[in-house]
Amino acid sequence: MHCNDHHHHENKNYSRRDFLTKTSLGLGALSLGSLISPVNAYGNSDFLNLLDSKKMKLPHFVPKAKRVIYLFQSGAPSQLDLFDYKPKLNEMFGKEVPKSIIGEQRLTGMSSGQNSFPMAGSLFKFSQHGQSGAWMSELMPHTSKIVDELCFIKSMYTDAINHDPAMTMIQTGSELPGRPSMGSWLSYGLGTDNKNLPEFVVLVTKGKNGQPLYSRLWGNGFLPSQHQGVQFRSGKDAVLYLDNPPGVTSGIREEQLKSLKKLQNIQHADIGDPEILTKISNYEMAYRMQTSVPEVMDVSDEPDYIFDLYGEDSKNPGTFAANCLLARKLAEKDVKFIQLYHRGWDQHGNLPNDIKKQAKETDQATAGLIQDLKQRGLLEDTLVIWGGEFGRTNYSQGMLKPDNYGRDHHPRCFTIFMAGAGVKKGITIGATDEFGYNIAEKPVHIHDFQATLMHLLGIDHEKLTFKFQGRRYRLTDVHGNVVKEVLA
Amino acid sequence: MLSELIDFLASLHPLVVHLPIGIILLTIAIDVFMKNKNNSVQRVITMGWFFSFFTGLLAALFGWFLGDNGYYFESQINIHRWSGVAFVSLCFFIWLLRYINFRFSRAFNRSINITTVILLTVTGHFGGEMTHGQNYLVENLPFVKKEISSLKITEAKKTETDSLFVYEDLVYPVLEEKCMACHNQNKAYGGLNMSAFESLVKGGNSGAGIQKGNPYKSLIYKRVSFPQDHPKFMPPAGVPLSYDQIATLEWWIDNGAEKQMPVTLVRKDAKIQRMMELQYGLDLREKTYLETLQLASIATSDLKVLEDEKYMWRFLNPEESFLDVKFTAKKIETADLLTLQKIKKNITWLNLSDCKLSDEQLGYLSEFPNLTRLKIQKNPMVTNKGIEALQELENLSQLNLYGTRINDAAFTTLGQMKSLEKLFLWNTRVTAKGIAAFKAQHPDIEVIAGL
Repeated sequence: MHCNDHHHHENKNYSRRDFLTKTSLGLGALSLGSLISPVNAYGNSDFLNLLDSKKMKLPHFVPKAKRVIYLFQSGAPSQLDLFDYKPKLNEMFGKEVPKSIIGEQRLTGMSSGQNSFPMAGSLFKFSQHGQSGAWMSELMPHTSKIVDELCFIKSMYTDAINHDPAMTMIQTGSELPGRPSMGSWLSYGLGTDNKNLPEFVVLVTKGKNGQPLYSRLWGNGFLPSQHQGVQFRSGKDAVLYLDNPPGVTSGIREEQLKSLKKLQNIQHADIGDPEILTKISNYEMAYRMQTSVPEVMDVSDEPDYIFDLYGEDSKNPGTFAANCLLARKLAEKDVKFIQLYHRGWDQHGNLPNDIKKQAKETDQATAGLIQDLKQRGLLEDTLVIWGGEFGRTNYSQGMLKPDNYGRDHHPRCFTIFMAGAGVKKGITIGATDEFGYNIAEKPVHIHDFQATLMHLLGIDHEKLTFKFQGRRYRLTDVHGNVVKEVLA
Repeated sequence: MLSELIDFLASLHPLVVHLPIGIILLTIAIDVFMKNKNNSVQRVITMGWFFSFFTGLLAALFGWFLGDNGYYFESQINIHRWSGVAFVSLCFFIWLLRYINFRFSRAFNRSINITTVILLTVTGHFGGEMTHGQNYLVENLPFVKKEISSLKITEAKKTETDSLFVYEDLVYPVLEEKCMACHNQNKAYGGLNMSAFESLVKGGNSGAGIQKGNPYKSLIYKRVSFPQDHPKFMPPAGVPLSYDQIATLEWWIDNGAEKQMPVTLVRKDAKIQRMMELQYGLDLREKTYLETLQLASIATSDLKVLEDEKYMWRFLNPEESFLDVKFTAKKIETADLLTLQKIKKNITWLNLSDCKLSDEQLGYLSEFPNLTRLKIQKNPMVTNKGIEALQELENLSQLNLYGTRINDAAFTTLGQMKSLEKLFLWNTRVTAKGIAAFKAQHPDIEVIAGL
């Protein structure tokens, strides 16, 4: 018997996956430690206790922000029609973009074959707003009123020229799929601030067409799977497959999970695969979410003047405005990373008409959200970001008409804005040239943006790593500089 | 014309000086290491001594020119000059003796060789000191700590920029490195002793060293910022002061050149501040309370009080001493506040919102010394009376009171909070008039009271 036992220990049944990830286990272990440092939210397994002693010392410094609301504008909104005022383009409307401006830069296959690259000045009126005097187009009347809360970066640039790699880049720090997204990194590094909701929640505007979204944009990549984003849908089942099957009561479910956990703990003792523990915690989280999710999705308590603040759409579940309201509620519940996706900005043609609709859908709700966060004191520790994956060209794709044009993809420059925790207010950082084509001042790469975001949350982006396939990965890989100009 | 030629020849000194070094070393090596020296070898050795003498003579002559053009001090040159002359003379006499076939004893020959090498070493070393600075020999040794002025600010001091002084920490180390070899209490060249603050200000024979508030009339500043070919440029040898060192000196004199001037005064001058941050690796931003607070990490046993499901908490710093605590249950009991009191030193952010907190219970929060952010919004039982207890929170910078029942009378209490920066008053009973009056009295406090 004794002999058998001994034998059993020697030949511990390592799974193939565990064998391959054996080296990364140590580091993954460290990460989980921080996850449970705020009470052991996922129960008392030996594994987690083991980790507690080795946890990473995070945050690296006192954070400015505790959570992020990222209003992602998928498809790439035209910075030239919204924020980046270029009167030169109106002056030279219809003239060719000077050769020296484009140089040898690559263009997409959609417009590189054009015989002519006529400059398209925005058809929308720009004016200055607030004490900061920020230029805004008439497309964003509500956001224009709160420019003194905002920090614009007009000199963002990216490597990718097409949607898929560009979105993957801004979400995960790499054009190639497979890396963890920003929200996952933050969940992995900082752990949870709430017991009953995931750290990373995704809300997608319903009924919008445009570039496809896929769950890997909020995927955990090689990080443990409890760090992936969880999509909350509008309507009855906010989270799919969360409800108990018919006839199963909550009590039965609880009993079932307890027994399952016993079995899984035995399995884990035998195999040692950390994913088993992840699975246990996922089951338990799902159980708690059965009550917490309907609670947070319920907006019936909100007074009318709050709906008025976000705009009339906010009463219609699944719209961007309704999602902004939900984002505030999730922020109140201390969800760490709340990501909204709003599609439909990819205006290669008929831009002046289409962008009006897009802007209307997002403008009031964005401004409303920022104001609502502010009056509740949440803007002190919440970072709000609004922006897309790249910019749009200063020349017209297709025929330029006096009242119509399109704009192609433009990775050389685009504008995003931020508000809230740790970010300077009423300021514009960076600038583009007078043609709005190249960056003239303070270029900010996606990696720099991500480094800054992590800095605001108290993380040194060079220190948060995860070992995978033989090397340590970071969100910013080997790049990224914190944009000090942004910091308050 | 002649003086230009002499200058040109003088500039050849560092080049020519290496010829006798190489030749004499080879000559001595042949003499020492070749066992059976026939006549030809002896003639080669004699020739070696001659060429050493000849090239040495040229080097000495050019060196003399170089020494005379005023860039160096006599004290620095003397040893180099006279050991050089001795070396050349020695070479000449040995060549002469060998030339007339004077018979050397082995002992005499050996002592000549040794003397020559010693003279060569001494001359070379002091020459090196003049061109490369006094510590050239040791400063690049791997185990010797480099003493560059900017590194003199120790790491410990760097984190406490409030305790740095411009003169003591930024100016003095530079003067010590660049000037005090010649301007000290023992050998005060030109009557100037820079090793003490008072004598530095007083200056030397040419006038006041420092005219407080006017760098351009301060000789110290003028001399180091002259063009380098100016005859009065300082330091006359070695590496001149760098741009940032000169700029720091200028800024210090411009701002009164007081001995006890804190470095943090630079905050009023963004450009110099930026330069200092880059050059000296200092972080001169105004520090928040938490950034200056040193607190030992909390003991694991103390953390046990937060084990209950009711509390969510996390550390705010890697030292694990600052706690961000949130109460999550629907109703808070006095016992919960007593629990929090056990770790009151470590609680820096506290969220007690929406938990039916009462005025009496607020009394338990009055002694949280390091609390900087307090959220007690959405507690409709809280009134003016309750927040009176918060007056003693010395370091509270943010207070969220929205959804409480406080009214304008609360402003008396709130005005007493000396660290308060932000106040959230939406959905309370305060009036626009009350807020306006409060803002007029406390313009530094931002009041957010809704849209």
